[in-house]
Amino acid sequence: MTTVDIAFLLNGRPVSLSVEPRLLLSDALRHHLGMTSTHVGCEQGVCGVCTILLDGAPARSCLMLAVMADGRSVTTAEGLSDPLAEQLRDSFQEHHALQCGFCTPAMLLTAHCLLSAHPEAGESQIREALSGNLCRCTGYQFIIDAVSSLTERGGEGDASHG
Amino acid sequence: MAEEFASAPHFVGARIPRTEDSRLLRGEAQYLDDIQIPNLLEMAFVRSPYAAARILSVDSSAAWNIPGVRAVFTFADMPFVLPQNGPSPIDQPVLARERVRHAGEAVVAVVAESRYIAEDACEAVHVAYTPEEPVLDMQAAQKDRPRRVHDAAPNVFYHQEYETEGFQAAFDTAPHRLTMTFQTTRQTACSLETRGIIAAADPFSGRMTVYCGTQSPHRLRGDLAEMLQMEEHLLRVIVPEVGGAFGMKAATYPEYLAVVQAARLLRQPVKWTADRVESFLSDVHARDDIHDLEVAFDQRGQIIAVKDHLMADGGAYASYPFSGAIGETSLAAKVITGPYDIAHLSTVIDCTYSNKVPLGAYRGVWGPVASFVQEGMVDRIAQFLHLDAAEVRRTNLVQPNQLPYRNAAGMLYDSGSFTESFEHALAQLDYTRWRATQEQARRVGKYLGIGLSNFVEPTAMASSEAGSIGYESCSVRVEPSGTVTAWLGLGPSGQGHETTMAQVLADQLGVDLEHIVVLHGDTDAAPLGGGTGGSRSGPLGGGAAMQAGRKMRERLDVYAAHMLEAAVEDIAWEHGRAHVRGVYARHVSLRDIARIAYNDVRQIPSGLPIGLEVTERYQPPRPVSFSNGTHAAVVEVNPSTGQVTVLDYVVVNDCGTLINPLIVEGQIHGGVAQGVGAALLESLVYDDSGQLLTTTLMDYLLPSAPLVPRMRIEHLVTPSDGALGVKGMGEGSLIASPAAIAGAVNDALSPWGVSFERLPIAPRDIVTSLGRSSAAPV
Repeated sequence: MTTVDIAFLLNGRPVSLSVEPRLLLSDALRHHLGMTSTHVGCEQGVCGVCTILLDGAPARSCLMLAVMADGRSVTTAEGLSDPLAEQLRDSFQEHHALQCGFCTPAMLLTAHCLLSAHPEAGESQIREALSGNLCRCTGYQFIIDAVSSLTERGGEGDASHG
Repeated sequence: MAEEFASAPHFVGARIPRTEDSRLLRGEAQYLDDIQIPNLLEMAFVRSPYAAARILSVDSSAAWNIPGVRAVFTFADMPFVLPQNGPSPIDQPVLARERVRHAGEAVVAVVAESRYIAEDACEAVHVAYTPEEPVLDMQAAQKDRPRRVHDAAPNVFYHQEYETEGFQAAFDTAPHRLTMTFQTTRQTACSLETRGIIAAADPFSGRMTVYCGTQSPHRLRGDLAEMLQMEEHLLRVIVPEVGGAFGMKAATYPEYLAVVQAARLLRQPVKWTADRVESFLSDVHARDDIHDLEVAFDQRGQIIAVKDHLMADGGAYASYPFSGAIGETSLAAKVITGPYDIAHLSTVIDCTYSNKVPLGAYRGVWGPVASFVQEGMVDRIAQFLHLDAAEVRRTNLVQPNQLPYRNAAGMLYDSGSFTESFEHALAQLDYTRWRATQEQARRVGKYLGIGLSNFVEPTAMASSEAGSIGYESCSVRVEPSGTVTAWLGLGPSGQGHETTMAQVLADQLGVDLEHIVVLHGDTDAAPLGGGTGGSRSGPLGGGAAMQAGRKMRERLDVYAAHMLEAAVEDIAWEHGRAHVRGVYARHVSLRDIARIAYNDVRQIPSGLPIGLEVTERYQPPRPVSFSNGTHAAVVEVNPSTGQVTVLDYVVVNDCGTLINPLIVEGQIHGGVAQGVGAALLESLVYDDSGQLLTTTLMDYLLPSAPLVPRMRIEHLVTPSDGALGVKGMGEGSLIASPAAIAGAVNDALSPWGVSFERLPIAPRDIVTSLGRSSAAPV
């Protein structure tokens, strides 16, 4: 099978590899580049556990071919290392926002993106922002609490949900 | 119970964040598909496109020619079965043998150097079939129509009848009788991590190491040994991080046998992970119940007798080792009266084969349908008599002075807080205010409904989907450096056992949490135990941890007393140090004791063994321990779109002593979310030819963050008489919530006289039935 040479930024570091054109980005990240925090739950673009940040915006790595990352910047949960990321990790632990942990890296990426753009987000906006990340364990409440506590309102929340 | 602990502080009962979280939050945790093994081959399956067919031929020559393909297996190459020793006489073959009996049944296994190549090769395998008429309707199937699924056995593989003495007279003479039929469609656990397994010969010992996200590591090892005719001690099962299980991962599956056998035959490591389509076509399905019900009651709404024909569609085979159909029905029949005092019961159970995926366990097995039936019946009675729904519940609830209470099916409710939890839930919800709001809203064309769901949750039973081991085990070792390592036979998948079991041990040993490591899921290290399922890990695992911790502490007390020249009774522990009670200056550390126990063994007090290791097994005093509680939901239904919005949700939960309230609440939240799915979204749909139409997450809908309500939780504590007073609690929230939400939807639609008796209630169901209904809203 022919292969294609690609190069992109992965968590801020340049990587290059030779891939089959049909290789999914999620598989390239997981099995060729060792970024196993990028999980695979459906390969149908629904569950969101394969979420990465592509040039800073959340994207489904299971719906992309690895060749489509050529020349782009890809961030996985392993690469989340700024102060906000650490606050999110602490807050997730403190609020018990994870159980099996399978959706967690993707949740962190989406939440990080939301809080970076909308530090003022209220509960409804947080729920909406996380609507593309399914969680089968937590019922979302403690995830919402963990994210809310880092907003400018500091978890005071709004009354618009429930 | 203060004497049960070595000392303050008490970790049991504290809201302690989990020790598991760090590796998960950093993306470092290794789930099955993250494991790297050199020369790992991958398996993919050719699955049946037909619900029922004869296999005429399999031509795999083209597949063998694809570079990278290492093997193509059919049943002839691995002639193994998952045997049935229970009521179902039909074994399940590892790969289809002559016939296929459900769409998605594995027919051919291909092993290749990558999953991509294996899937290419699957497409190159040509299987010729003669389709047969599928058996898809469980009520027709009971009469062996249109035919038998298995020639050798009737479709009804489990039939039971039960009736209380005097039932008929009580039923016949009751003032009122109502008939109703409740149904739950097929649903499934749908863990976000799919199933998978790796088998790799251990290069050091030559034994077979099996990595699998199973809930029951020791049972899986035993099953593999028995079914593949291997010696148990030549197998090691390791459970990696598990991305959700919910009962579904307790079963032993055909693919597991195929992978282990392939690794034996090829003498190379082999992996299989399901993709999502395969998950829907091969993970055990759940629910799929019909209850034909007649209820007799008096003018106050007091229920006198219940007659129920319970049916479940078991699918093509009884899932091993736990048939979901038998679980759904036989357990439901035992608690169908819930927390209500109903004297007479008559039940008939029929479980049938069909040409669908085998039915197995999903969190709350039997419970969601039983609660839906029991609460639905109470609501119909209230409606019929024009009584308030809460009042009819008060009339029927088991009263505190009746406990312990034996229900009409013979089950003993050991303890509980039925009336208290109900009244607390009404108060938390502000039931009266919501009733007034509902009335006002209707006048302006908004339709609110209130749903009430009182539940009982049988926990810590000897038998569950995890298997039939009625105890749990724990080994504790104080290391030479004075830190503590513990092993349990559990198979957790996100429940936080590493934290909760450490909390129990910390209190027993008087050491701080950070000095304890809890391990599980490796059959080479963990003592033989039952695993996780049936809400048993807290009460049984916790019991084992308590017992092992106490046994260890008794030995440590002897050391401390000897070294401090004090009486054993005067020894107290805190932060890993023993002191003479009241005299903190006279102390000795766990590290000092460990040094003697391992390295200065001539100083060991006489009568004690060398070292600091114990293994204990805990069997609870009762065969079952009942948790209970009440869920109350307020919803708004949009009659033109059918959209349901949950406005308020209250849970009052009583699971006895709480080891960690934070974790208990997380479990409740998750169960309620799954209940929202069960009530409003989730349905596995088959078409008339037996094709499963819902094989993506775009068709089988899971609740997302905006749909799940904020929940308010109150804990009541009625301890069990088992270890620590702990009761199980993993399933109650999914047992109670579908009934609460469905009840609220039905209440909202009461002006139309519409009442749904089938779950889930989808928007189109609401719109369709309101459109057809002649009654106009008041």
